[in-house]
Parts: sequence; structure tokens; C-alpha cells
Amino acid sequence: MAESYDRESEPTTRTLLRRVLDTADTRTPRRRRSARVSAQKALLETPSSRRLSSPTKMNVRQRSHRARSISRLAHVHTSGNLEEQTPRTLLKNILLTAPESSIMMPESVVKPVPTPQVVQSSRRESSRGSLELQLPELEPPTTLALGLLAPGRRKQRLRLSVFQQGMDQGLPLSQEPRGNASASSLTSSLNLTFATPLQPQSVQRPGLARRPPTRRAVDVGAFLQDLRDTSLALASPGNTVLEDTQPFSQPLVGRSPSVYHSLPCTEAEDAERAVSHRTQSSGPRLQNHNPRKPAQLLAAKAKKVDALAVSFPNNSSAISGEDGVEPLQDGVGEEAEERMEEGLSVSKVMDTTGTQGSVRTEKSKGYREMTEAVEAKEPEGSSGDEDISGRTASPELASSTTEFLQARRPQFLEPAPPPSTAVLSSEPLEPLSTRLPPRARTPGPRPRQDPHKTGLSHYVKLFSFYSKMPMEKAALEMVEKCLDKYFQHLCDDLEVFAAHAGRKTVRPEDLELLMRRQGLVNDQVSLHVLVERHLPLEYRQLLIPCAFSGNSVFPAQ
Amino acid sequence: MEEEEEGSGEEQQRFSYRQRLKAAVHYTVGCLCEEVASDRGMPFSKQTIAAISELTFRQCETFAKDLEMFARHAKRSTINTEDVKLLARRSNSLLKYITEKTEELAQFNTEQKAKKKKKLEDDNTKSVVPAEAAAAEKDGS
Repeated sequence: MAESYDRESEPTTRTLLRRVLDTADTRTPRRRRSARVSAQKALLETPSSRRLSSPTKMNVRQRSHRARSISRLAHVHTSGNLEEQTPRTLLKNILLTAPESSIMMPESVVKPVPTPQVVQSSRRESSRGSLELQLPELEPPTTLALGLLAPGRRKQRLRLSVFQQGMDQGLPLSQEPRGNASASSLTSSLNLTFATPLQPQSVQRPGLARRPPTRRAVDVGAFLQDLRDTSLALASPGNTVLEDTQPFSQPLVGRSPSVYHSLPCTEAEDAERAVSHRTQSSGPRLQNHNPRKPAQLLAAKAKKVDALAVSFPNNSSAISGEDGVEPLQDGVGEEAEERMEEGLSVSKVMDTTGTQGSVRTEKSKGYREMTEAVEAKEPEGSSGDEDISGRTASPELASSTTEFLQARRPQFLEPAPPPSTAVLSSEPLEPLSTRLPPRARTPGPRPRQDPHKTGLSHYVKLFSFYSKMPMEKAALEMVEKCLDKYFQHLCDDLEVFAAHAGRKTVRPEDLELLMRRQGLVNDQVSLHVLVERHLPLEYRQLLIPCAFSGNSVFPAQ
Repeated sequence: MEEEEEGSGEEQQRFSYRQRLKAAVHYTVGCLCEEVASDRGMPFSKQTIAAISELTFRQCETFAKDLEMFARHAKRSTINTEDVKLLARRSNSLLKYITEKTEELAQFNTEQKAKKKKKLEDDNTKSVVPAEAAAAEKDGS
């Protein structure tokens, strides 16, 4: 008895915790009320009750009766050995015994903090007198409890959503007690310290707080510049080779200038325009790092070019490619010492041209980089495993389309000779710049508007997805162009086949003929086999006649 | 056993036939290359000629298959000039050449037909006249 009184007069951590435990309802969270009651009784009858002073005992009983309807507590297993326990174990007990009731909801389900439940349960009573039953100076343990809550029970966390729902609903009656709680001193009750964290503005439970989404301030300058770039790109429709890379570089605008493959590419393309316009941090540095960046870019590009070259075996008009490469290599020796680049032979080639380009205007350099990408593709043409490339390869090879290759070769021959001559010349700036404007006109107007090409961009994205290496924007542009030509070619063929059979509509027979010419369908592999192999069931049903019930065959033969 | 032998014999025969065809193609290609070489003043190496002839041979195979497919696609059993034109549609110059040739051929055919018709009529009349003349002479003598 005296002991207990002493305890109350000198509230140490241990005594406080003990008090909390004593006053707490000893109920498991999931037990029914009957169980709760029995648990209560069991607690009261535990041998530890010998330590309880009569007033506390009465308090327990009173509060338990009051709190019965709302609180649920875990069973205290260790209530018997309070004497031997450390503050840590006491806190653990608190955690276990804390009732899961929300201060907000009258029928409480849960709330994240177990310890204060002891107090919160009492809050059910609108009377503030119940608060006084709680321990006075309980801040340290509460903070401790807070720390322990993190490793605390999972099930409490799981119910958080419910709690938050409750918070959202914002029950009006909770306002008053909450307001009261905040009004009263923090140390007046356990409740208070834990009530406030439940509110979103709380600082004590930052994990629960609903923070407003952090938004970066929009860099207006960069945004405007990107707009300008986009409009530039759209305005110069014919110059797809030179400048039309903006649609792909937009996502990279916000990236920090790290040593990232696609970023150097973006920078190079931006470098095509006036250098000063880049408001990113890389912008001001671009001037200084001009010689270095294109080299970096090209070093990175070299690897991409390999990937790209793999996918373009058709463009291996090796003759033109070799012509382009040889004069480039002449410049390698001069510039190689200035550069400390990786030892890729292709990258060296690219680097030298890149360094030479850095001397010139950005535009011309960018132009050459594009054409170099084109040229490097050609000598490195090898059989690719890419789906699309395979498709483009097989129709070229299987069908008699050498003429087609010849038709495409002049396209690549055009860019090839000018840069090679430009590289050789000592004053590359002038000839290239003079040649540049006419070259801008020669590709001709863009054959289709953008909305028509949206379908192709989808394929291009697939292409970049399946490629094993990151792709440059210029490469993707090339891919798009080639896909465009390929599909045009395909549809022309289909049209001609249909006309050949005296029809005006294209039918599956025309497609089968086309696939035969491509070599995909032959005597060993029929069209149906391919359909079965590659198409999902829905399409297969449409294509392969199948018998259904009632002697009906779909599709009808 | 016999079938195998026959099969192998047939295969051998086919193979030799193929070789002969290839040789013929090679010879023709060689002649053409010599002609071009003399025109341009640049000789052709043997490997080049061999490569071209091999290429030509394979392309001929492809062409044949394609032509057959085209004819079947048009539900015909004979290969037509239409099929050939379809085959050659890739290269514009070749297509133009072929169409011109077909037109010429068509013209020629029509001319031939006209001539034949005319000839037939003449023959008829001529045959009638000599018959009459013969009859007349007979009568006369």
C-alpha cells in the first residue's frame, strides 16, 4: 500500500508504466465483449493485484466498465511479473495491452497508437475528469512509446486506412474532445500527446501525415525554350535528318546532366540549335564542355550505332559506307591525341568527326553526327535478330527487291559524300555551311502529317524496348522512316496483288502471297501454322476456320 | 533399295542437269561481262563473274517461284505477261521496258492477226480466181 502511494508520489518511468498497465483494460483486440469482461476479471484476480492499491483497483474497475464498450486490449501475459520487468518490457506490455480504439470513432476499430489507448478509451466519456485519471508527467514514456510503435504491431497499421477514413469523415464529436485535448497541457494526459499526431498537421507522426505533394518549381525559361524547340522541329518538316528529333528529346529535358546515354544525345541535338538557349545546368557548361560533350556523345553513340547497324542490314550499301568511313579515318590520326576516348574503332571515327564538328557550328556538327550515324550503320551492317529488322531483311532478300535497295541507296549516298568531302577539307566550316541549306531542302516535304505517324511511333517504341541497348533519338527517327517506307511498300504490294487477281479489295490470299514472297510462308510452314504460333486466340478464331456447334463454321469458308 | 538407287540416280541426274544450267548461265554472264568490260575499259575478275552468275541463277529460281505464285494467285495455270510485269514492278526502268515490249508484242500480234486475216481473204479470193481461171482455161482449151 505504502509502496503504491510512494509510487504515485514519485513518478518514475517504471512506476508510470506500471500505472498505465494497471489501469489498462486487459483485453485482446479481437475477442468479443464477453471475453473482454472475463479477461478483465481475470486481470483483477491476478496475483499482481496485490500490488495494486485499493484506489487504483477501483479506478481500474470503474474505467474498465466505462471503457468496455469501446476498447479492446490484448491480454497481458506478463502482468504477473511487473516487479521484475524493465521499462522496456513495461512498454512492451503497454503496447500489447493498449486498447484499439480511435479517439475519433465512437465505435472504435483501431488507431495507430496503442499506448494512448489507455487514455483514449477514457476519452469516450465526455467528462474531462476521466483524463485526470491518467498519469501526469508522462511525456518521456510516451515518446519512448512512440519510438517503439514503429516496430509495433502490424495489425494496428493495417487498420490505418480505416482510421484515416474515419479522419476523413471527420466526426464532429471528435472535434470537441480534440480541441479540449489540445487546449489542455500536453502532459496532462497520455491522450493528448497522441491525439495530435493523428491529425494530418502533426509533427510527431510524420509517417501518417498527409503531406502536400512536393512540386518542383517550373523553370519557365526551360519550358519556353522547349516549346520553341518543338515548334522549330515542327516547322522544319523536310529536315527530318537534321533537326527533327525534338519529339523524342522532350522527356529528357528534365534530366540532370549525368553521364547518361540519352542525355548526351539530347544535348547534341540541342547543340544543333543555338548553344546559349539551354537553361538547364548543362546549358552554361555546354560551351565549355563543347569539345568534350560531342566526344562523349559519340562514344556513347558508337555503341548505339552498333545496335542500330544490326537492325539495318539493308542499308549496308557497303560501298558508300566504306567511302564515308575511309576519309573519316584520315582525320582520326590528327585528332586522336587530343581526345582521351575509349578504344572503340568506330567511336574513334565518330570522335574525330565529332571534334571536328565542335569546331564548326553546332548545326553542321549535328548534321554530320546524323550522317555519321547513317554511315556507320552501313559498314557495320550485319544480320540482325530484331523482329522488325528480320522482317525488313527477309522481304528484301526473299523477294526480288534488289532494285528497292538500289532505290534506297541513293538516299544514303547523298548524305555520305558531302560529309566525307567536308571532313577531308581543311576549312570544313564553309563548305558544309554552304552545303547545309540546300541539303535542308532536298529531303523534300514530309509526306504525312503527324497524326498519321502516331501509329509508327508505337512501333518505334516497341523497337526501342526490344533492343538490347539504349537507342539514340536519331536512330529512332531512322527506324521510323524505314518503318514508314516498309509499310508503304507492303501496302503497295498488297494493292497490286489484289489488282492482279482482278479484285478491288485486299483479301487474306493476297497477304499469304506476300508472306510467301517474304519467305515466312513456304511449303513447310503454312499461314495457319504461323497464325497459330504467333497470334492470340481471339485473332486465331477469326482467321482459321473452326467448327462450332450446330454445324457452323466460323469464319465462313 | 531400288528406289533409293533410282532416287539417287534421279538426283544425280538432276544435279548434273543443274550444273549444266549453271554452266550455261555462267558462260552467258561471262560474255556479257566481257562486253561491258570492253565498253568501260575495266576488266572483270573471275570471282566477280562467278558471283554474278551464281546470283543470277538463284534469282532466276526466285523469279520462277514468284511467277508461279502470281499465276496461281490470279487463278491461272499459265504464266502471263501480267505476272512478269508484276514481278518487275520494283525497278521502274525495267517495268517501263517490259511494258513497252509487251505493247510492241501486242501490236505485233495484232498486226500479225490482221495480216493473217488479209492473207486468208486473199488466199480465198486467189484460190477462187485461179480456180475460175483454171476452169476458164479448161473450158477455153
